[in-house]
Amino acid sequence: MILDELVRLLPRTNTAYIKHFLLLSFILVVRIQTHAQNVDPCNYELKGIILDADTKEAIPYVQVILKGTQRFELTDIDGKFHIKDLCDESNALLITCLGYCDTTCQHFHESEDKPYIYLKKEVSALDAVTVTAERSREEGTVSIAQQIISKSDLSANTTQSLASALSEIDGVTFTSVGSNVQLPVIHGLYGNRILILNNGLKHGFQNWGSDHAPEIDIATANKVTVLKGAAGVRYGPEALGGAIVVESDPLYFKRSFKTRIGTGYQTNGRGYFANAEISEGLEKWSYHLGANYTRIGDRSAPDYSLTNTGKEEKSINGGLRYQVNDFDFKFYYSYLGQNLGILRSSVAESGTAIVRAFNSDEPNIIRDFSYDINQPNQLVQHHLAKIESSWRYADDAKLVFKFGSQLNQRDEFDVRRNADLPIIDLDLITNDLQVDWEHPHWFQLDGLIGLQIFNQNNDNNPGTLTSPFIPNYNTFRFSGFIIESLRSDESTFELGIRLDYEYNNVRGREPNQDLYKDEYSFTNLTASLGYILNLAEGNTFRSNLATAWRTPNMSELFSFGQHGFKTSFGLLRYYTDENENGRFRTDRVTPLGESSITPEKGYKWINEWQLRKLTNTFTVTAYTNYIQNFIFNRPLAVIGTIRGPMPVFIYDQADAMFVGGEITWQKKWSSTLEGNLGISYLWSRNLKKNEPLINQPPINVNYQLDWQLPSFWEGISSQLSLNPTYTFRQFQAPRTVGPEALIDGLVTITPESEIFDFKDAPDGYFLLDIAWNVKSEKIELGLSIQNVFNARYRNYLNEMRYFADEPGINFLFTINYLFNSKSN
Amino acid sequence: MDFLKKYSLYTLLVVAVLFTGCDDEEPEPENLPEIITDVMLIFTNVADANDIVEARAQDPDGEGVEELRILDDITLGTDKTYRLTYEIFNNLETPGDNIGNEILDEDDEHQFFFSFSTDAFASPTGNGNIDKADDPINYDDEDDNGFVVGLQTIWTTSSTTLTGGTFTARLQHQPDVKTATSGATDGDTDFDLEFVLNIQ
Repeated sequence: MILDELVRLLPRTNTAYIKHFLLLSFILVVRIQTHAQNVDPCNYELKGIILDADTKEAIPYVQVILKGTQRFELTDIDGKFHIKDLCDESNALLITCLGYCDTTCQHFHESEDKPYIYLKKEVSALDAVTVTAERSREEGTVSIAQQIISKSDLSANTTQSLASALSEIDGVTFTSVGSNVQLPVIHGLYGNRILILNNGLKHGFQNWGSDHAPEIDIATANKVTVLKGAAGVRYGPEALGGAIVVESDPLYFKRSFKTRIGTGYQTNGRGYFANAEISEGLEKWSYHLGANYTRIGDRSAPDYSLTNTGKEEKSINGGLRYQVNDFDFKFYYSYLGQNLGILRSSVAESGTAIVRAFNSDEPNIIRDFSYDINQPNQLVQHHLAKIESSWRYADDAKLVFKFGSQLNQRDEFDVRRNADLPIIDLDLITNDLQVDWEHPHWFQLDGLIGLQIFNQNNDNNPGTLTSPFIPNYNTFRFSGFIIESLRSDESTFELGIRLDYEYNNVRGREPNQDLYKDEYSFTNLTASLGYILNLAEGNTFRSNLATAWRTPNMSELFSFGQHGFKTSFGLLRYYTDENENGRFRTDRVTPLGESSITPEKGYKWINEWQLRKLTNTFTVTAYTNYIQNFIFNRPLAVIGTIRGPMPVFIYDQADAMFVGGEITWQKKWSSTLEGNLGISYLWSRNLKKNEPLINQPPINVNYQLDWQLPSFWEGISSQLSLNPTYTFRQFQAPRTVGPEALIDGLVTITPESEIFDFKDAPDGYFLLDIAWNVKSEKIELGLSIQNVFNARYRNYLNEMRYFADEPGINFLFTINYLFNSKSN
Repeated sequence: MDFLKKYSLYTLLVVAVLFTGCDDEEPEPENLPEIITDVMLIFTNVADANDIVEARAQDPDGEGVEELRILDDITLGTDKTYRLTYEIFNNLETPGDNIGNEILDEDDEHQFFFSFSTDAFASPTGNGNIDKADDPINYDDEDDNGFVVGLQTIWTTSSTTLTGGTFTARLQHQPDVKTATSGATDGDTDFDLEFVLNIQ
């Protein structure tokens, strides 16, 4: 992606200066083909000047290292450097900003889009210049394997969910309930085991079950970072599997007025969307405004329409930044409103209906295409407001205050007698206060010390005509953390410790509407240890061992009865009665303090080795994640109800182990052809019962081939991408017990029974996506075809696999218009 | 310093917001018209209003794990004609909520289906319409669309006795699904209860 943007900036050799576009980098590698200044060997020379592009001010004390040698130069007060007596015509420069310049660069990074580097024309002919830049990493996560999805990737298809956009990263996939509700999965973990940070705040939403996706519109995101390690020390509880950091427009200063207007149409679901954004950075002011609207009707599988799978989504967001002296203020607000349809045929309220729905090859209800969204559906509104101010009181020290408030309103509708009333109607308010202190350089230590206060207030709105599935609750959390890193030439150590205290107050209703109350608190210490070793240039090893924890969520503790097609009982809602021979009872709520329930604790060790060699980049990631008191849903029994026999599930705790890895191989086949191979594998097990876990991602192999097509018109570039993927059948799936075997009593299920699934894991499948993108200075056109062969398949991680196939072929057309008042 | 002043003010404001957001509101109790805990089948002899046969099924904890209990057998007399009606209640509420009224209000979304020991009745004959929707059942009511409902049905026994037979009554909720031909597997089940049937 970085290269992508660079290419546009390169062919300007005729101007007096060559401008290189550098992304918020501390370490840059610049390859420059110099022309011979002299025919004698070792008599080449290289001169350059490093300037700020906008102000044309020199950047002094930049270290310019001749790659592969010990030689370096510092830029002088005028930003100039001069390296003599070079033996090669082609040289690679490593430009690093150390000491004083570190902060200078950081200033640039924070305040402006990019520091520009100008090189004097006489230095080079520059027919081939590549710049690779390593982005700066968030303090406390530098040793964690991480990957970034950039704006250009996100805007290629703004109709997709956050989870689906992230799934192009190896080791990341998504679990879903249909096409609209998709949750990111990192290394087999999802939901409360992945922390989602929206603009630096923990996204405050109804994060339970697999049917509540984070309400984040990717059209408003500027960049999304996926951390594959347990980033719990930096970001707080729940980051057992990793963290997803969504950032909006960075609000750089000194940036010309920019507009981007995009619209598009997709054939599957006859979806259309439009989005617009404007931004401008002045001397001390900067703002950003964006809005997005998406409407999709019923999707269709190759053989039938997926009735009631439409969605409607609107979002707006805006940011404002103001700087006075050393103080920097940022205000941010975003709103997202969604109406998400869920496949009509997935509703099965009785045992016989489940059997019928499961055994039918096609969904039981298929209607003609419609944009209408009926029950079952989810209506969600999410507001986020944030104030952030930082005070850079010294060159290498900074104090940051963040305060955020979020309101999440969720109404869920079900097919039932009172279908016009929501069956779930919740308002969740989240407040977050954070103070971070980036302390000055101290005995070779760089570090960050932070304090956080977090609170959530969840209320049920009356009028659902059901017992509240999730109780009212208040959560308070007080946290403090410290992260220190020690850098030497080849290696960096990073150590972090965090202490959390969490208090919960819960009020709910039993089935007979009697009130139950509970109060509980936990104190937990998490730690992380990271190590980075730069073996050689372009050869880096990262290792991170970290703990993370979370309290069981409200549905794991308190759920009672049917949600979706499953009847489940939370950890505190059932007990075995010793007086009655261990009989299962659900007639009272056990206070957490009297139960044996403990928080989940994870220990994740992740290693990443990255090797860049010539045109190849290899990345190998391997991890183990041991989770103590892992909470999962498992079958209990088949019980007789008024509606007929029903399979019943309970939440249970056991220790679990996850071991896996990813390999990616990026290869530049030629100057116009680049390929990227990714393979991911995960093995997981419930250690207590020595049985598999359900809904774990299967092996996936994917390849992406990008071909820069020859320019057919001045100033227009185009790229053709092919993306074949093969997803294997999940051969570690639990045994299969059909619901009819349960209901007819052919298989007896007891609390000790082995875990099972109702249907076999679906077969492996091959998918091909093709995309063609054309770019000019002002217009970007995209045509992509998803599921080119219109393959019939079911995705093991989609709960709808019990009922229907995945959507078939889709043609997506997008057009973006970009306007930049000052062309750089 | 001016800025520090601003900062502390702003921090104070933030802390105030953070802690005023704390309430300990309790969820309000709900009416539960969708839960059925008690179903009673009432067979009333059309010739003698005092000749009533009642059969009860009960799931006292609603969605909890308590097993369903079929409390009574259906024991009918030979050569009699009965009208079958229901009492459907949610007794998790006090007083119990009469769900039968709700079903009557939404009778265009509901239909009762039956299955029974083959030829247990003189009319209807056969084994009921759960297996095949157009098998005979003597419905005695209609919804606004002219489709049968089954809140009232007529059953005539013959002179043949029966011991230990079965009688199943199933109520299907069929919003936007109910038609003249919709069957016992369309829509969702509100209740599905099998009783022992004796005719003597």
